[in-house]
Amino acid sequence: MGENRASLQKGVLSHLEQLEAAAHEVALKRGELKAQEEDTARMKRRIKELRRQRDALRTKLDLCRSQLIGGKNTTNVDSGTTEAGQQALLEWKTETLKGLLQVFHLTGLSGKLTQRGACFCFSTAFENTYLDSYYLDLLIKQPVQILRHSVPPFIPLEQIAHKYLQTDIKRFLTVLSGHLNALAGRKFQVDQLQENYAAFLDGGLQGNSLCNLLEFSYRLARDSEAFPFVARLTYANLVSTLPTEATISCKEDAPAFLAELTAAHEALFREKPLHRVFSAITASTDSPSQSLSRESPLISSTSLSSEGHDGRHPPEAAAK
Amino acid sequence: MAKKRPRESPRQNPPVKVFIMDVTVAEYIRRTVLRIPRSETRTMLTRWKFLSDSQLQSLNTNQKKEDISREVVELCQENCATITHAADLDMIYSYTYRDKMLWDVYQMIREEGDENDFFDLANFTKKFEESLRSSFKNVTITFKEFEDNSIWIRVAWGAQYRKPNQYKPSYVVYHSQTPYVFICKSINKSSMPLLFQALLVAANYSDIHEMDLRSRCLDSLKDIVFKRCSKSFPTHHLQPLQEKNSNLENVDPRIIREDKHEKERIQRIDRETFGDGPQPKLEFAQYRLKTTFRGDLINDILPNIEPFRCTVKFSSPHLLEALRSLAPAGIADAPLSPLLTCITQKARNHFNIREREGAHSKNSPGQGRIYK
Repeated sequence: MGENRASLQKGVLSHLEQLEAAAHEVALKRGELKAQEEDTARMKRRIKELRRQRDALRTKLDLCRSQLIGGKNTTNVDSGTTEAGQQALLEWKTETLKGLLQVFHLTGLSGKLTQRGACFCFSTAFENTYLDSYYLDLLIKQPVQILRHSVPPFIPLEQIAHKYLQTDIKRFLTVLSGHLNALAGRKFQVDQLQENYAAFLDGGLQGNSLCNLLEFSYRLARDSEAFPFVARLTYANLVSTLPTEATISCKEDAPAFLAELTAAHEALFREKPLHRVFSAITASTDSPSQSLSRESPLISSTSLSSEGHDGRHPPEAAAK
Repeated sequence: MAKKRPRESPRQNPPVKVFIMDVTVAEYIRRTVLRIPRSETRTMLTRWKFLSDSQLQSLNTNQKKEDISREVVELCQENCATITHAADLDMIYSYTYRDKMLWDVYQMIREEGDENDFFDLANFTKKFEESLRSSFKNVTITFKEFEDNSIWIRVAWGAQYRKPNQYKPSYVVYHSQTPYVFICKSINKSSMPLLFQALLVAANYSDIHEMDLRSRCLDSLKDIVFKRCSKSFPTHHLQPLQEKNSNLENVDPRIIREDKHEKERIQRIDRETFGDGPQPKLEFAQYRLKTTFRGDLINDILPNIEPFRCTVKFSSPHLLEALRSLAPAGIADAPLSPLLTCITQKARNHFNIREREGAHSKNSPGQGRIYK
């Protein structure tokens, strides 16, 4: 009351001011209270939400456990969609990687890291045929060492290693791959010749392990008595499947028109693989109907890969 | 009566007259035919290509072997056989039964250079013969190339005023452009240097040495030195290894194999060391030891101990397969000692094991070194 009196003494306006200030204070406090209430409510909601999440996770965990115990026959129910998506993604990734590996396989050179280094696989091929694979296990540390390998003994592996192994492993691998591919290619040609054109050859082919020297006598027709031509092919370039030198000689008692063919044959042998040469020179002398009926599979194979004599030799190309 | 010989043999140069068959030749052919099993007689004579088809037809192989051989000798008489032909038949026999002989592997070494080696069989045989005959006239040399691309050389050695002994020849097997030679030694050891010399000249190499690799199975020796053993190389394209003995998994689930992991470990190690394929066939491995005993006690008792010498020889009809089965059978711990598993990799089955220099002072057991 005394206050009121004092305020009355001071004036109504100041009293009103005081009242206004008090009302403002009350309003602020109320606002604070309200905010607090809201906060707690929000917190409570959050707690509820977290509890719910916790329960969900618990049930999920239980489900997983029961699945593990129960075996693989039950499937994920609630969060299956996302996991399935992840699974699909992983599968897709592995497929892509496998595809990439396949592509490396196609280059004829593939490797796998081992505990101490890497193991390389050289898959050889000639034209459209895959041939033997060779392996090389390298110890990758200075100096690089060949641990073991399955490279044939007549491939000059030591010389190639001496040249490139310590300085340029890539070069070493491509050169070695070139040697192996060329060897496989030369062997393949010889095998093809003996398999498909035995009737045109006098006995077998005289050669060696590296197939870098070949000698044989041949004729152009099955029914002719003699084998008038003698071929001697040398492959000085060991990374090539074609001879560097081809010498065809004609036996003395052969008719003159055959002797004229030797130069043409020499050129053919230098340009084409052996079996292609034979398919060309024997077909040209035989009547077409005969050769068709007799060697139809061969002719189809010629037409298939006539665009190039050496379908695949990336390592050689890289080496050059 | 004498028929024309059906076969030309351009490399023969027989000192014997062609018309009358030499007694020793006849006897040699007779004995060679006697060695051939009856069931094989016809096929082997066909491979020989010396007798004509009609002669082969007329030959009765159902009689006693004595009679077969006599009949063959008569036919050879008709065809005027020489020692070269007889040696040819012997080579076919020896090639077919090559596992009856003991083979030694030799390695040739070439000086730097000579990268392009155009091996020519005719040139090789000519050089070989020239070299051998230049130092030793009294020899019978025969060459034959077989379907596995191997070149067989048969050398029968003579002595002063005595004809070459056809019954104790040396056989040499060579694959062109490889540094390896497989030799079945003759009794006549003193002739070996001549043989080596001829080989080095013919194949254009500068030195030759023994590899300490011996076996009866020639093909396995080739597999080892030509690196044809199917060792499992790790690649991305290898098929996943199939579990062997998988039928054991499906027995009563209450049975637990306690050593399952250990078994798997042994199998894995075995596969890593020996690979998957069949092992090359060796009959023995020999280790010559010259080591000292180690350990404090021994050192105290005997301060200056003499090295202990002994030879350990493992023999088996199929040594490497036997070694491979040691660990899975539970007889030995896996992995086996590298001394046993390095045979194919080092291409040798004779080892000399000596003390490592200064190893006795360190007193560490198991330190040995393989010397040549």
